[in-house]
Amino acid sequence: MEARIGVFICNCGGGMKNIDFDAAGAKVAKIRGVTCVNLISDLCLEEGTEKMAARIRAENLDKVVVAGCSPQFKEHVFRNVLENAGLDGHLLCMANIREQCSWAHDGDVTEKAVDLVKMAVYKARLLRPVEKQDIAVDRKVLVVGGGFSAVASALRLSRVGLRPTVLEKEAVLGTSSEELQRFYGFDVSSMIGAAEGDANIEVLTSARMTAAKGAAGDFLVTIMREGEEISRKYGAIVFATGYRTELALDSGLGLPAENEAVSGPKIVSQEQLFDMLNDPFTDTKPRTIGFVFGFSDENSRFPTLATLNNALAAKKEWDSEIYVFCRDVEVDSEGVEKLYREARECGVVFLKCEALPRIAVDNGRIAIEAEDVFLGEDTVVACDLLVAEELLFPTEGTAALSSLLNIRLDSRGFYQDENVHLYPVASERKGVFFVGGCRGDLDMGRVLTDISSAVMSIDKLLSSGTITAEIERVKADPQKCVACLTCIRVCPHGAVQLGRVDGGKEIAVIADLACDACGICAAVCPAKAIDFQGYRDDQLLAQIEAIGES
Amino acid sequence: MNGRIIAFCCEHSAYPAADLAGKLGLHYPETLRIIRVPCAGRVDVIHMLRALEKGASAVLVLGCEDGACHHITGNIRARERVKHCDMLLREIGIDGRPVVMFNLSPNAPHKFVKAANEITKIIKESREAR
Amino acid sequence: MIIAERKPMEEIKQAMALYKKVLVAGCGTCVTVCWAGGEKEVGILASQLRLARSAEGNEIVTLEATVERQCEKEMVAELEDKVAEVEAVLSLACGSGVQVMAELFEDKPVFPAVNTTFIGMPQKEGLWVEMCGACGDCFLDRTGGICPMVRCAKGLLNGPCGGTRKGGKCEIDPDKDCAWVLVYRRLEKQGRLDLMRQYYTPKNFRAVKRPGRVQAAKA
Repeated sequence: MEARIGVFICNCGGGMKNIDFDAAGAKVAKIRGVTCVNLISDLCLEEGTEKMAARIRAENLDKVVVAGCSPQFKEHVFRNVLENAGLDGHLLCMANIREQCSWAHDGDVTEKAVDLVKMAVYKARLLRPVEKQDIAVDRKVLVVGGGFSAVASALRLSRVGLRPTVLEKEAVLGTSSEELQRFYGFDVSSMIGAAEGDANIEVLTSARMTAAKGAAGDFLVTIMREGEEISRKYGAIVFATGYRTELALDSGLGLPAENEAVSGPKIVSQEQLFDMLNDPFTDTKPRTIGFVFGFSDENSRFPTLATLNNALAAKKEWDSEIYVFCRDVEVDSEGVEKLYREARECGVVFLKCEALPRIAVDNGRIAIEAEDVFLGEDTVVACDLLVAEELLFPTEGTAALSSLLNIRLDSRGFYQDENVHLYPVASERKGVFFVGGCRGDLDMGRVLTDISSAVMSIDKLLSSGTITAEIERVKADPQKCVACLTCIRVCPHGAVQLGRVDGGKEIAVIADLACDACGICAAVCPAKAIDFQGYRDDQLLAQIEAIGES
Repeated sequence: MNGRIIAFCCEHSAYPAADLAGKLGLHYPETLRIIRVPCAGRVDVIHMLRALEKGASAVLVLGCEDGACHHITGNIRARERVKHCDMLLREIGIDGRPVVMFNLSPNAPHKFVKAANEITKIIKESREAR
Repeated sequence: MIIAERKPMEEIKQAMALYKKVLVAGCGTCVTVCWAGGEKEVGILASQLRLARSAEGNEIVTLEATVERQCEKEMVAELEDKVAEVEAVLSLACGSGVQVMAELFEDKPVFPAVNTTFIGMPQKEGLWVEMCGACGDCFLDRTGGICPMVRCAKGLLNGPCGGTRKGGKCEIDPDKDCAWVLVYRRLEKQGRLDLMRQYYTPKNFRAVKRPGRVQAAKA
């Protein structure tokens, strides 16, 4: 049966002066399949949408073309109109005659506008409805990790009424969170106490995730705990697996790790210095201390904070002379500017260098040599103690965990933090989030923001207990699929898996909740088995054909 | 068809960039026809070939900037396919009807206009050369 | 699985030079999986051919069809109507499929559009490697399930050639693993290294009668 397509042309309240709407309407009416053409001013306003819905019903239309502004702008409005008029929202096709026609060109563009409507009509003929369904989701959330970010996320998730499980590979929580306690003053241990006492939060220690299947709302995770395999269902997964550090000695400072000065107490990390400062039994009092940081990573907020705290304490405790070699002091985190000023005032010397300082051991002392950018000449400082730069690495097992869920890592091996489209804490897989140090970022302000945004996204995803999903918008035809696995290998969202439909032969099955509707699978399928409603091959080719006829 | 340029525009970058070009009144050749796609990775070789078969004088595939593809690898795949399509065309000795990929961000209408103008220039030059 | 790759376009164009209307026929099994002759490749090849011919001012009409297995007469027979319409058939199936097509439609010339290359497996997306030489005398049980006849660049039957590079790479191609090193490691894992000491007499390829025949037990 021939489709009944209604075309609605909007002149945007007179905002498209270079289109002759009457002439355009007359031409559009001649396109095959067009049942009626309606010129309505201000179609998107209440009066316009009411008229539109009435016309859809009166003319018994089954497909609708709206010619007017960009679909990026108002598509959702018109989809609603269709749905209110009893049609599926996917039976709408828009012709962008405003931004991409009237406004983009001078002079009369009536003909181009008609061409664009023709493209839309050709596509509209082939549109098919897409069913929507509420899919039940699990309200439990798996939080992988047992440090500050993990515990804080779990507490927040519990507060919004979700049920988190904290999965820690060590025997206790918070084994590597002392640094935060020291430099930020967070009371991690009482947070851990609160989490352990929270009835909503389950804590699994000495446990690891060994497998994960499924998609957002319905992950099936296998956990190994003390030799025992546990299978659990989760609606979402949060990675808060943290980071680890190494002294940057081998990589740039030019000192072999076996050097006596390195194995001795003369070159230390920020953490070791902190321990020295707080050790009541030590009698070492280094007269001169050199700090080096900020040469391996652009983001030096955390080293800046650690340096300032440690330098001030060393001044107070030992009254040492202190020289800081760095590229940038980043003081934009809260309270750091004040610390910096205090440090300057009590005599800490900051030397800004562009190149990595050269380190040599001379007579039991450590000579730091660098070109000061402001003095423009080489400065040499002999120190008793060097607080070396630390390099940031993802924790061991990050790569293994990411491959369990098929998630990419960034160039440094952290969970990917490079894609501007995937808002910071989300991953390419729906329902999987990252917070804190595992993203390679240690700025506490951002970590707290991470936690908030992850919890907010998860709340939105799971709190109602169901997600409305479009069913089979992208689907592999079981008759045509040859199970070549191409789509499974290429899907960036891990949404395609090998499966059986109604116990039939194995084919590519696309999880509606995990699919982000990009159409990459449809493009690569060598059997042309995958249909992507709205962007099917025949729909794209119909538009090309319309252009060809114009 | 009369020298149309078919531009497949990713709805995350090039399509809004084209909208913005219109809003800012930046002009580009009227011969450009935009087909909206959810990701440049949706565009396959057959779509580009069919466009040329139907008489297009050039095909543009416009996707997100490197490393900023909403679907991670869509823009990289699109580039590979454009390269493959270019190879298929060279195989049969068709030149002067270019298939070109450009990367841009949604807030880069100038880049969109530049891509449209550039491809128009290429077509014109190759037409004059013949 | 049978792996194939498309023939050079020049060859295909020449083969089609005499014809104005052809059927481009794909196969939905092996060659679909290896991206050489499925519905997608059929569409691309047909389009490319039309473009090439229209640029020469000598239009060609193409019909397109893909059957599930071109090596099955019953499935190829479905194309009867389409074949009747055309002057020639361009088949994207493996050599076996091309022959079935040719046998079934004896009055029509059938041209292969792909070269059937080997029996292999996907190594990663879009890359297939040869695994089996179809020698008809399988001895994988004695080599830990790794075929040195195919995976060794020299096809050696009795241990490595002596040119194995450090790290177990091949003398001829440093990117490839030495098949015999793989065999050794596998047998080592299984505690069956004694098999490495066995000498195998040269294979008697005459044992494989041409054309080969496989007769399954009567079902």
